[in-house]
Amino acid sequence: MIRLRAALAAASSSAVLLLAACGGGQGSSDASGDGPTSVKVSVIPIVDVAPIYLGNRQGFFAEQGLKLELVTAQGGAAIVPAVVSGQVDFGFSNFTSLILARSKGLPLKVVAPGAGSTGVGGKDFGGVVVKAGSPLKSAGDLAGKRVAVNTLNNINDTTVRASIRAAGGDGKAVKFTELAFPDMLAALDKGNVDAVQVVEPFLTTALKNGGRLVASNYVDTAPGLTIAGYFTSQQTAGAKPDLVKRFAAAMQKSLKYSGDHPDEVRKVLGTYTKIDPALTGSLTLPTYPAQVNAASLKTLADLAVQDGLIKTAPDTKDLLP
Amino acid sequence: MTAASPASVTGSGRGAAGPGPGGGAGRRPVPGWALGLTGLAALMAVVELAPRAGLVQERFLPPFSRMLSALADQAGTPEFWRALLETLRGWALGLAIAMAAGVLLGIVIGAVPPLRAVTTSTIEFLRPIPSVALIPLAVLLYGTQLRATLLLVVYASFWQVLVQVLYGVRDVDPVARETARSYRFGPLAQVRTVVWPTALPYVMTGFRLGASVALILEITGELVIGSPGLGRQIAVAQTSGAVAAMYALVIVVGLIGVTVNVIARATERRVLRWHPSIRGEAIA
Repeated sequence: MIRLRAALAAASSSAVLLLAACGGGQGSSDASGDGPTSVKVSVIPIVDVAPIYLGNRQGFFAEQGLKLELVTAQGGAAIVPAVVSGQVDFGFSNFTSLILARSKGLPLKVVAPGAGSTGVGGKDFGGVVVKAGSPLKSAGDLAGKRVAVNTLNNINDTTVRASIRAAGGDGKAVKFTELAFPDMLAALDKGNVDAVQVVEPFLTTALKNGGRLVASNYVDTAPGLTIAGYFTSQQTAGAKPDLVKRFAAAMQKSLKYSGDHPDEVRKVLGTYTKIDPALTGSLTLPTYPAQVNAASLKTLADLAVQDGLIKTAPDTKDLLP
Repeated sequence: MTAASPASVTGSGRGAAGPGPGGGAGRRPVPGWALGLTGLAALMAVVELAPRAGLVQERFLPPFSRMLSALADQAGTPEFWRALLETLRGWALGLAIAMAAGVLLGIVIGAVPPLRAVTTSTIEFLRPIPSVALIPLAVLLYGTQLRATLLLVVYASFWQVLVQVLYGVRDVDPVARETARSYRFGPLAQVRTVVWPTALPYVMTGFRLGASVALILEITGELVIGSPGLGRQIAVAQTSGAVAAMYALVIVVGLIGVTVNVIARATERRVLRWHPSIRGEAIA
């Protein structure tokens, strides 16, 4: 499945370029009459996107005259083409993916932040976990070991490398294996890999079952790392500046509200995920920042170059609103 | 796959359909469905006992009873039933389009030899292309909605139907064809009285194969693309780490598969009740 998705990502990004060049795709949200403008957003059903669900419930999008239609997808491979072709107006993605897409010439533009690291080591919503009884004690020990990440050459392997380097280890020496988050704990348990980089709810599940956290890779990468955000295509941004402005405003309000009301965030998780209700209380939530941390974005771009994902870093200012 | 094999698959498939109600009456006291249920019960017992005995960890493969209770939880939510309907609708729509297009094109192409000669290599080129390879194209054209998955479903099941219909049309008795022609039957009357009765068993085989393939692609599309339906619910359960709920949905998909097959076979028997293969008179 993962292999398929990676192939999909490669195939679709080239196909997207073609289509973008042809200027294809018709907007899904034509402002019609007096009713609310319908706006389509493609998201991944994970903890990171709770604010958009919560904000929608709180009516923040209706306030802006928007009728939100949330479409779930399995990953950026399906989201990016949908946004670029204009099938959906906005999408959710991590910033390394957006930096990679931008450096390949895809016309993407961030409109609002989505989720960020808590910045507290050992208490973040993602991290590297080893089996109980593993000899690995810290990020530095990961050098030369097999570590599972959900996507190769993306945010998680670059930040794990950064984490190893921060601990004084050789970031290049680690061996990454691509595995879907749901498959990681079983692989760790069987000893197929030495460590796994997981996010919630798998992090809490792992720790509950005796796993041990050895690194908080997002925390080690940059202070206040913004991990993911909502983006659109430059075509949509140019054609519907008003829509983008209203969506960004509603999103800001949703993020702020979610930051202030973590209990409601935990409650809204039950509406779009199937996370065990017994688990939602103990999950570590990401922060929902009001602004994209530009410095951390620059760090991600530099890491992408350092680890050979891209040749030259795109100007991250172009990506930001 | 060689050119001859689909036809032979058809033949054996028809033969295998025999032992249902018609074949071997009264020989054995245990009916087929009871044996089938025994097999299912054995499978359930294995899934129940393997985690309990510690052969696999419960948190990766929960016992069958836990899956069932998760299924009961699911069945209490409106979104489960909506997803089920969406899956069935996508499947039925895709299969209907594939059937209509496959039968129509199959008869037209099959009836015009030059056309068949021109299209054979193209069909053989397009047919083995896995539908999943078309996912990026589907997403690009139709986003992540129903139509993207529909494209995959139609593409995959269309070839199953088309190829069967082509073989069916080729199977028409030349004498019957010539007779119809000498009696100056029009093209439509020829199709109705000569081609269709001969092709019908093949059409039904295409329907049965297409029905299963359509279901597989419907679920795959929902899983990977995220179009609405049970497949997406499975994907959500996966990303939520809800293992029992995920297996519960997988069980539902399996049950749909069984139902689809039973309905397809029943339809086949009903439509072909006049046919020697169903009447059981073919065995000399």
